[in-house]
Amino acid sequence: MDKQAMLETARQMVAKIDDLPTIPVVATQVLQLLDDPDVNVDKVADLMLTDQVMTARVMKMVNSPIYRPSQEITSLKRALVYLGIRHIKEIALTSSFISAFEDKGGVIDISTFWAHAFGVGMVSKIIAEKIRYADIEKAYLAGIVHDIGEVVLSYYQPETFSQILTTIKTRPVRLIDLEQEAFSTTHNEIGYCIAEKWNFPEAYREVILHHHTPREASSDPVLCAIVNLADLFCSVRDLYYGGNVWASFNLSEEEGWSILKEQHPNLAQLDIERFCYELDDAVPDVKELVASIFSKE
Amino acid sequence: MAISDKDFELLRDFIYNLCGMYFHTTKKYFLESRLTKRMEATGTKSAMDYYGLLKSPRGGEELRFLLDEVTTNETYFFRCVPQLNAIETKFLPEIVEAKGKMGFRKLRIWSAASSSGEEAYTLAMILLEKRATILKDWIIEIIGTDINETVVAQAKEGIYNAYSVRNVPDLYKKKYFKEDAGKFILSPDVKKFVTFNKMNLYDDTKMVFMKSFDFIFCANVLIYFDLASKSKVVQHFYNNLQPYGYFFVGQSESLHGVNDKFKTVHFPGGFGYKK
Repeated sequence: MDKQAMLETARQMVAKIDDLPTIPVVATQVLQLLDDPDVNVDKVADLMLTDQVMTARVMKMVNSPIYRPSQEITSLKRALVYLGIRHIKEIALTSSFISAFEDKGGVIDISTFWAHAFGVGMVSKIIAEKIRYADIEKAYLAGIVHDIGEVVLSYYQPETFSQILTTIKTRPVRLIDLEQEAFSTTHNEIGYCIAEKWNFPEAYREVILHHHTPREASSDPVLCAIVNLADLFCSVRDLYYGGNVWASFNLSEEEGWSILKEQHPNLAQLDIERFCYELDDAVPDVKELVASIFSKE
Repeated sequence: MAISDKDFELLRDFIYNLCGMYFHTTKKYFLESRLTKRMEATGTKSAMDYYGLLKSPRGGEELRFLLDEVTTNETYFFRCVPQLNAIETKFLPEIVEAKGKMGFRKLRIWSAASSSGEEAYTLAMILLEKRATILKDWIIEIIGTDINETVVAQAKEGIYNAYSVRNVPDLYKKKYFKEDAGKFILSPDVKKFVTFNKMNLYDDTKMVFMKSFDFIFCANVLIYFDLASKSKVVQHFYNNLQPYGYFFVGQSESLHGVNDKFKTVHFPGGFGYKK
C-alpha cells in the first residue's frame, strides 16, 4: 500500500482525537534544564519534587533491579546523584510517557504494554552497548517509545483492535498486516503522527515509523535496526502482547541484523546463544520494574 | 549451601566456557544443591575451593561428575515444551508444506541421544496427532540412538514410571498409555513409528549413513565432548539434515564457536539451529 496514503490516514485519525494525552510540563522543564551543561542537581531535584508522581516513580525505578543500588535509596537528591544526568533524563522521559497513558483503559493491559516497552528499551540498550553505538540512552528511549502507536489503537479503536488481538491468537498472521487491513494504516504511522505532535526529535520519530523496516530509515538506520532486533527478541520472550505462539525469526534473514553487521563486522562473532540466555535472565528484572512502577504503594 | 551472586557468576561463566551449558539465574538454587553434593564428595569447603578444583588439572574429570549431577534424571516425556510447541505450530507445517510441494511425503526424525526413549516417543505422539490433517498418508520414521545398550533396551520396551510421564498432557496420556500397577505402558501404535539402536556419535562410519533427516535432536550430550569432537559430531548432524532441516540441543546448551554453518532460529522460549 502507498506509504504516503497510510501516513495521511494516520494523520487524520490522530487529528480526530480531541483528548490526546500531553507530556507533563515538569518533564519538559526537566529536560530543558538537563540540556544545560552546567546543570545543578539541587535545581533538578527541586523542580522534580513539584511533581509528586514523577518523584515517586523515580524512587521506585532507582531502587529496581535494573539500576541495582547496593542499598535502598531514600532521597530524591541521592537518587539523582546515583543515577547521573543521563539516567535522570531517561527516567524523566519514561516517567512522563507512563503518566500520559496511565489512566487510559484500552485493550492491551497497560502493564503488559509497558513490560514490552521496557523490555525493548532494555534489550536495545544491551545491543547498543555491544556494537558501541554512540548514544546508549537514545537507544533505550527509542526502544521504550517505539510502539506508542499501539497504545493509541488500543485506547481509541478498542473494538476493532480487540478483534485483531483475538485473531492473532488463532491464526499465524502479523499484527501489522491486520492493522493495515482494518485501519488502512498501522501503529507505525499512527505512532509517528503522535511523535510529531509531541515534538519528538527526528531520530525517535523515525524509529517509531521504521522499526519493522529499518532499511527504509534515512537518518539513523542503525538505531532503527537496534530497536527492530530488540523488538524481535522480546517477541519470543514473555515480553510481548498476549504471547504470539507463531512468533519466530531467523536472525540471518533479518534486515536489522544485516544493517548492524555491515556497520560492525565483529558482530558476526557475537555469542548469540549466550546473549539469549542472558536476556532470559533479564526478563524477571523488567517485570519487577514494571510491577513496581504500577504498584499503588 | 548458598553461594554468593559473584561466585555463582564466576562458576557459571567457567562452566559455560568449558562445555557450553548455561545456568540461568533462576536455576541458581538448583546449581547450589548439585554443587553441594559435589563439594561433599570432593571434600571442598567453599564454592571458591570447588572452583579451584575445576580449574586444576583434575578439573575435566570433576566437571563430568558435576554435569552428571546436573543432567541426570532429566529425561521425561514432553521435556522441552517451548521447543515442541515451535515444532508443532511452525517448523513442522513449514517442512510439510515445502516437501509436499515437491511430492515427498516422508518425514524423518532422529533423537541422537535417545536414552530410554522419552524424546523420540514424545515426537511420535505429536506427529500421530497430525495424522488426520497435515500428515495424512505420510511415512513417518523416527530413529532413536544411544551409546548405552541398557537404555536402548528400555526404550524398546516402552514401559515408564510416573516420573517419566508427569508432564504428558491428559489427552495424550489417555490415548497412548495404559496404566498398570503404577507403570505406564506405551501403546504399540506409538512404538511402531520408532526404532532404537545402539550407536556411538564418535563412530564416523555409522554417522555418515544417518541420512536425510528433517529434525535432529541431541540434548545434554555435546556438553561432555571437547571442542574438536563437538565440531566433528555437529558437522555430521549438519550433513545428515535435509536442506532447511532443524537441529535442537538441550534447553540451556550453546553451540557457539562449534559450527558456523547452522543459523539460529528463535521461537517463543528458546532457539534452535537451521541448516
